[in-house]
Amino acid sequence: MNIQTAYFGEVKIDSTNILKFQYGLPGFENEKEFILLPLEENSTFQVLQSVQTAELAFIITNPYDITANYSFDIEEATIKALQLEDEKEVVVFTIVSLKETIAKSTVNLKAPIVLNTTNKKAKQVILNNEDYSIRHLISSESKEG
Amino acid sequence: MLVLSRKAGETIYIGEDIEIVISEVKGEQVKIGIHAPRNIDIIRGELLQDVSASNTEAVITSLDLFKKKK
Repeated sequence: MNIQTAYFGEVKIDSTNILKFQYGLPGFENEKEFILLPLEENSTFQVLQSVQTAELAFIITNPYDITANYSFDIEEATIKALQLEDEKEVVVFTIVSLKETIAKSTVNLKAPIVLNTTNKKAKQVILNNEDYSIRHLISSESKEG
Repeated sequence: MLVLSRKAGETIYIGEDIEIVISEVKGEQVKIGIHAPRNIDIIRGELLQDVSASNTEAVITSLDLFKKKK
């Protein structure tokens, strides 16, 4: 199928790759389907594009690339919602809030996106962990960018 | 919205498996205990609002940053 995207024009996607967010994302509760699109220039970052709304896209990245000791327990509610059976099925992303530079940009370590790669069910979970910030400055860990 | 008046120690059931206990009332603060199945997310309202605000800020408005790096 073809979808309209914010930055790549019309893109042909494989519908089996659509990520299904049963309850959308906080603030975007009606957006239940997204697709990951690569950012060719920089493989660390990907675009999380809404399937139904062309203008809606986020940058996501691997939180473990940002902060080495990132770790959290996946709660029962998430295991059930995503029908997770094995930890090997799990992929975790974090949403990036872009600023003028990558270093000044922030990542939301408090509310990572958990994806079940087997069934493509995904959920933005909110951690009960005071150590992680909703707006974690990328430069606080890395000098790149 | 249903509004119920409760005193400390009193409870409210929501459906079969969720019990809300008013555990303490002190000045402007109320301590609330919640018994709920583990498959239910319990999140403070202001935290959910903050995540919602952060998501809204994170919507891409430009990818120039990545083009410049090329």
